[in-house]
Amino acid sequence: MKQAMSESQDIEIATTAIVTDGQPDSKTRRYDRQLRLWAASGQSALENARILVISGSATSTSILKNLVLPGIGHFTILDPANVTPADAGNNFFLEGPDSIGKSRAGEAVRLLGELNDSVEGVADTSSLEDILAKNPDYLLGFTVVIACNLENEVLEKLATLLWEEEAGPALVVVRSAGFLAEFFIQFHEHAVIESHSEIAPSLRIDKPFPALLEYATSLDLAGMDPTDHSHIPYVVILVRALEDWKKSHGGLPPQTYAEKKSFKQGIQSMKLKYDEENFDEAESQAYRCWTDTSVPSDISKLFQDPALSSLTPTSAPFYHLVDALRRFTQEPPHTLPLTSALPDMKASTESYIHLQTLYKTRAEEEKKRFTELLDVPLDDALVDTFVRNAHGLKLLKGKKWGALDRDPGDLLKALATTPKELAIHLSLSALASISAKHEPAITVEALTAEAQALLPPGTELPDEFDDAVGEIARAPTADLPNTAALLGGLVAQEVIKVITKQYVPIESYCTVDLVETWTGVVKFA
Amino acid sequence: MATASSSQNTDWQDRYYHIDQVLDKPGPRTDPAFLAGDGVKDFLRNQAKILVIGAGGLGCEILANLALTGFKDIHVIDMDTIDISNLNRQFLFRTKDVGKPKATVAAEFIMKRVPGVKVTPYFGKIQDKDDDYYMQFNLVICGLDSVEARRWMNATLVNLVDPENPESLKPLIDGGTEGFKGQARVILPTITSCYECSLDMLNKPTAFPICTIANTPRLPEHCIEWASVLEWPRVHGDKKLDTDDPEHISWLYNVASARAKEFNIEGVTWSSTQGVVKNIIPAIASTNAIISAACCNEAFKIATSSAAYLNNYFMLIGTDGVYSYTFEHTKRDDCPVCGGDSLELSISSEFTVEQLIDLLVEKQDIQIKKPSLSTPTSQIYLQAPPQLEASTRPNLAKKVSELVPPEGEVTVTASTLPFSLSLRITYT
Repeated sequence: MKQAMSESQDIEIATTAIVTDGQPDSKTRRYDRQLRLWAASGQSALENARILVISGSATSTSILKNLVLPGIGHFTILDPANVTPADAGNNFFLEGPDSIGKSRAGEAVRLLGELNDSVEGVADTSSLEDILAKNPDYLLGFTVVIACNLENEVLEKLATLLWEEEAGPALVVVRSAGFLAEFFIQFHEHAVIESHSEIAPSLRIDKPFPALLEYATSLDLAGMDPTDHSHIPYVVILVRALEDWKKSHGGLPPQTYAEKKSFKQGIQSMKLKYDEENFDEAESQAYRCWTDTSVPSDISKLFQDPALSSLTPTSAPFYHLVDALRRFTQEPPHTLPLTSALPDMKASTESYIHLQTLYKTRAEEEKKRFTELLDVPLDDALVDTFVRNAHGLKLLKGKKWGALDRDPGDLLKALATTPKELAIHLSLSALASISAKHEPAITVEALTAEAQALLPPGTELPDEFDDAVGEIARAPTADLPNTAALLGGLVAQEVIKVITKQYVPIESYCTVDLVETWTGVVKFA
Repeated sequence: MATASSSQNTDWQDRYYHIDQVLDKPGPRTDPAFLAGDGVKDFLRNQAKILVIGAGGLGCEILANLALTGFKDIHVIDMDTIDISNLNRQFLFRTKDVGKPKATVAAEFIMKRVPGVKVTPYFGKIQDKDDDYYMQFNLVICGLDSVEARRWMNATLVNLVDPENPESLKPLIDGGTEGFKGQARVILPTITSCYECSLDMLNKPTAFPICTIANTPRLPEHCIEWASVLEWPRVHGDKKLDTDDPEHISWLYNVASARAKEFNIEGVTWSSTQGVVKNIIPAIASTNAIISAACCNEAFKIATSSAAYLNNYFMLIGTDGVYSYTFEHTKRDDCPVCGGDSLELSISSEFTVEQLIDLLVEKQDIQIKKPSLSTPTSQIYLQAPPQLEASTRPNLAKKVSELVPPEGEVTVTASTLPFSLSLRITYT
């Protein structure tokens, strides 16, 4: 009984907000519209996160705005520069001419800070080069580091430092010029339990658990009160119909088109009256009888992860959970643990609540079995979240920033799979190389030569490359307000997903073309 | 060509260093008609007049982007006041502004932050303004959360088009968000697909049958609907439910909780009660930033011709990676707003007028509340005024086939829509 209580409370907390009775406090009211997306757990992760943004450019402040508003714990802007007249013209978090000549970090932190009193902001006017040389550990104290249009050489040093620290901060590399942009997130791996998958977990109608089967087969359909008959939930109808079918078909569910059709007709013939909508619903859901409930391939792939074969008590809880899940699925009925999430269906209150209780009780039993299979003791709330979301688990394996540009083979694959996305990436990489050389003019020819140098000799660039490189040459140093604002939204969104470990962040370069208005992802695997 | 004097007062050297890079020369895909240089800058900064509908989640972002890109004559309409739950994303507002009109506060903030930009607010409804008012703008951007307001604005701009007067065609840029998802689109009234053309793309609002709410509740939502739809009027009579009043929500929460307890239903909370009765859509700063930036970028490209504009629909889903889809939504020939053809509707000859009305309310590509029906020669059923409603009410029970010949035309109107829908009825 006690366990059932705690489960229902967890569900309430996860699906609503911090306060479950009475009126919400002012903080919950302020954050209401986002708590409905990432709940109190996500909010708490945000409030404990520390963000470092390198440079106080328009893109940097646009990103920060979307992290300060939802209530990130801390942010630092690292920028030794003073505000130029050009900065004052394109950055909303500077006060026009009044800010010119003042510290860009200082002005931006002051104006961003006005958006949310509970966020701590720090302006640091040191140079990144100095910090990398003298105090690199400072950089490891952040949750996420974001670098906007940073020069190649120092970016490479930063990326290497953060990559070498296994549990170090994620690095987001953002580049833009005029109407084109890209960003990349460097991380070793990123495990997501709450992916908020839109696929519903199986109701296991094809493999009913004993209490469900017992209930469905014990109903006296013929002798039942007609009102009750028209309120039998479709789940129960299907379990019963399937059981009856199997008896006369060698224990097999309907397989051919003709059999499925005949099974559906069988459901219709169970009706006592033509207007029993619960039987119509059962017919429309009949596919569940021949959809095999097994372990999804995405999930069984996780069981092959090398980390599982070298588990120690100090391994990340995620791996212990996945390993327990692996053992759980080895036992009959070889499925993921049942969840108690039951969709709405035509039914009376009593029959629906009864069915829901059957599912809840069974889910509790399976969770108990799952917990027994765990090698280490873990917080019950974590186990509960894991079990409820097991069908949508994600484990992303990241790459070091710059690895793609050093691998001509991967570049060729990307060129074949996602040419227009890669065209933007190559153009921006070429721009970064040229900028590092401090050449006076950035021409299409020079950019093309840099891009070509990354690829195997003789590789033909696609037509899309001409479009991209031409835009770059047109506006090589333009941080356009709309591009900055759009990147600000996209990058902040991904950073929120990384921090909350909810929803699924991108795994490769995301590229943006604001001439034709599209976003894409470079693919090379 | 010299830059006009009005912007010299506030424009400092290098103010537009970034933007001028795309205004001083064309890109590979820029239309040859683009006139790089002072001419296009003068139009953008001294002549263009742009209207923003909504000063909320999208509106705040839109106003800031437009001001930074160089639009200097911006008008904004919003009928709402600021609520504390807006502050997680509507970044032009502070705690001290709660209760004040959004349009006014937003306009003042922009003018203070971005020198030389004039933002003219209107605290009221879009329906308060007439065609002459809308005629003065070059472009309209909508950042709304209401389907009804969008339909009104769309129909108004389509109706404004006069083939003899090219100035009467006002591009409409529309944005919308929900959680991590959103869309931005460009509508050239009468030329491209309009808002009404794509009505069937909207998700159907969840509606719970009254018999479920009254007799067989199963979900917490059923208990909440019972409290708001059935119990509130029964207990409070004519007193209107104010979903913004926390006391009212608390009352509903207590009533819904008691019912849930009675039926062993779990999950009624204060927050879910508020969510159901206010139909709350999750909203975050980042998604609004993406969609608003996309909208403003289209406005900038249309106003300057510096790059081609979106043709015509951009859809974003940010829950699993960054997925977006850019496509051309096609115009519907039988669109009641911009198409010329009547909508063909085939019904049973036994269908009553009341059933036809129910069908129109239900249909995803029509979505009309309280429609009035007439034929070219007679009135079938009118919702208002009360005298005409009373005199046409007996028709509700009649068969449509008694009142309308096969292939006959029925005109459908509703007070919420500034257009009429023409149906051609056939019988089966």
